[in-house]
Amino acid sequence: MKIRPFRLSVFALSLLIPAALCAVVLFLMIYSGQAIMFNGLHFLTDVTWNLGDMYDDPVTVHGVSVPSGAEYGILVFIVGTLVSSGLAILIAVPLSVGAAIFLSEAVPAKIRPVLSMLVELIAVVPSVVFGLWGIAVLVPFIGHHLSPTGNGYGLLAASIVLALMITPIIASTLLDALLQVPKENRESAFALGATHFEVVSKAMMPMVRATLIGGIVLALGRALGETMAVLMVSGGGGNILPTSLFSPISTIASFVAGQLDSAEADPTNMSVRALSEVALVLFLITLAVNAGAKLLASGALNVRKRQS
Amino acid sequence: MNILNKLRRTGVAALAIASLAGVTGTAKAQTVDVPLIESGSSLLYPLFNDWVAAYSADHPGADITTTSTGSGAGIAQAIKGLINIGASDAYVSDSLEAKNPTILSIPLAISSQEVNYNLPGVTNLKLSGPILAGIYEGKITQWNDPAIAAANPGVALPNHVIVPIHRLDGSGDTFIFTQYLSASDSGWASTLKYGTAVSWPAISGEIGAKGNSGMLAAAAANQYSVAYIGISYADKVASAGLGTAALLNKAGNYVLPTKDSISAAAESVANSTPADERISMIFTDAPNAYPIVNYEYAVVNSTQPASAVAEAIRAFLSWAITEGNAPSFMAKVHFLPLPAAVVALSQAQIAKIQ
Repeated sequence: MKIRPFRLSVFALSLLIPAALCAVVLFLMIYSGQAIMFNGLHFLTDVTWNLGDMYDDPVTVHGVSVPSGAEYGILVFIVGTLVSSGLAILIAVPLSVGAAIFLSEAVPAKIRPVLSMLVELIAVVPSVVFGLWGIAVLVPFIGHHLSPTGNGYGLLAASIVLALMITPIIASTLLDALLQVPKENRESAFALGATHFEVVSKAMMPMVRATLIGGIVLALGRALGETMAVLMVSGGGGNILPTSLFSPISTIASFVAGQLDSAEADPTNMSVRALSEVALVLFLITLAVNAGAKLLASGALNVRKRQS
Repeated sequence: MNILNKLRRTGVAALAIASLAGVTGTAKAQTVDVPLIESGSSLLYPLFNDWVAAYSADHPGADITTTSTGSGAGIAQAIKGLINIGASDAYVSDSLEAKNPTILSIPLAISSQEVNYNLPGVTNLKLSGPILAGIYEGKITQWNDPAIAAANPGVALPNHVIVPIHRLDGSGDTFIFTQYLSASDSGWASTLKYGTAVSWPAISGEIGAKGNSGMLAAAAANQYSVAYIGISYADKVASAGLGTAALLNKAGNYVLPTKDSISAAAESVANSTPADERISMIFTDAPNAYPIVNYEYAVVNSTQPASAVAEAIRAFLSWAITEGNAPSFMAKVHFLPLPAAVVALSQAQIAKIQ
C-alpha cells in the first residue's frame, strides 16, 4: 500500500478537534462523578445552592466527605440561563433580520461593505466591554425608567446585553445568505408584480430560512455560554426563581465563574466537583439546543424542497 | 549578546550591593535570580504591585510576578505548589491546615471593611450585626424598621424598602462581613455561618455584584441600598456620595472605621495572636475597636523545592512586613501596618520557610 504522508497528517489533524471535545467531556464526567453520585437528581430540581461551612470540620454524608451544610441545587441557574438566552434571541432576531434585509436591499452596494463590516465589528467587541456598558448605562437606565423597584440589575439587563452581543452573529450570517439568493428569484418576483416587501418576505426569506436558523443556533450557543457580561449585570440571583423581568438571575456559566474561587478553598474538593457537574449540565444543554436546531433546520429544508 | 550584557549587569549590581551590605550591614542582596509567583486576593493585588515595583528597584535580580485571581485560588494554588506566595484575605481553615500542615498563613498588613449605604438625606447611620443580619436574612425589609430606628434616635429614616447588595463572586470581603454577622448574631451563626461565599437567603430586590467595583457601582446606582465594601475603596466610596455606617462593637459602642478604631482592634489581639497567626480580628473586646478588621495573609508552603527559592521568599516577605509596611504603601489602600508583636510572629513564621 502506498503511504500518503499528506493525507495521513491531515487525517490526524482532523481528529484533534473531536478528540479535544471528547477529552473535555470525559474530564467533566470523571471529575464530577463523585458529585453526580452525591447529588442525584435533586441537583436539577432543587433551588438551594450552599457551598456549606468550609471553616468547620467536613461531615460524611452517604459515605462522601462534604463541608457541613453543603447542598447543591441548580434549577435557578438552569432557568436563568434558558430564560435570559431565550429573551435575548427574541430581542435579537427581529433586530438582526431587519438589519440584514436593510443591508442587502436598501443600502447602495458601494457602502454596503462598510456598514456590514461595522455590524461584524460588534461581534468582536470583548464581552467585558458590554458588561461595563451595561453597568454604566443600561442598568441605571432600567433602574430609573423601567423597574418598579428601582433596581436595574437582573433578567432584563442580562438579556439586552446578550441580545446586543448576538445580533451581529445572526445579522451577518443572514446578510451573506441574502446576498447569495439568485438574482433570477428576485427579478422574477418583481416581474410578477410583487411589491418590494413581498419580494423579500415571499421570494427571499424562504430561501434563507435554514441559514437564519443556523445563525440563531450559533447565537444561542454564544448566549448560553456567555459569562463575564452576564456576571456584571445579572444581579447574581440565587436560591430563588426569577419572578419578573427585573428579578436578579444567574446563568450557569456566570455562576460557575463566580463560585469557583470559593470552591477551591473546600478541603473535601466536593464544591469543585459539583461545579464541574454544573458545567457538564451546561454542555448538555448546549448540545441539546444544537441538536434540536439541526433537526429544525433540516425540517425547514424539507419543507422548501416539497414546495418547489 | 543581550543576555550576556544583562547577566553582567545584574552580576555587577549584585556585587555592588553585596559590598554595600558588607559596609552597612542592613541591605539584603538577592544574588540569585529566582523567579517568584504571587497570586490570589484582588484586595491585596494593588499593594503587591506597589511592593514588587519598589522591591525590584532596590533588589536587582528580584523577579516577582503578581496576578490577581482571588483568595480561594491563592490558597489552593499555594497548596498545590503552583505558586510561591498565595495572597488571601482569609486564613487557611482548620480542615485545610490539618490536610496540609506545612502551609503557613503569614499576616502582611491590616485591612478593614466599610458598610456603606445610599440613603438620601441620611449621613450618620448606625448599624449593628443583628440589624445587618436581619437585613440580609430578609427579616428587616424597611429602612424605618423599629430595630434600625432604635439604633438611630433622631434620624429621619425613610419609609422605603432596603436593597441589600452582596458579592456574587467568592470574596474575602464576604468572609469578614459574614464573620462579623456570625460573631454578633447567634441566628446567623447557626444558619448561614461564614465563608468567602455563603448561601444568601432569597430576598426579592437583593442584588449580587461582582468585585468591590461592582459593589460600589450597584450601591451608587440604587438608592436605599446597603453594601459592604473593602476599605481600599474608601476614597471612591466617598466621592460616590455613599454614607459609611458606624457599627456596633462588642463593647456596645458605635464606631466608624478610622485609623484609630482599626488599630485599636489590631492592638487588642496583637498579644493574643497565636504562633500560627490564624486569628480573627472581627468583633474584638476593645471599647473603641471597629468590629470588621482583618489580617491580609501570605499563604506559603514552609517546605520549598529549593533553598534558593525559600531564600528569595523569605527576603521578600520580611521586606514586605517591615519596609513594605511604611505609610507610603499603606496610605494608598487604607491598610494599616502590623503591630510590632505581630511583626515578630510573622518573622518567626517566615524563618520557617526552607
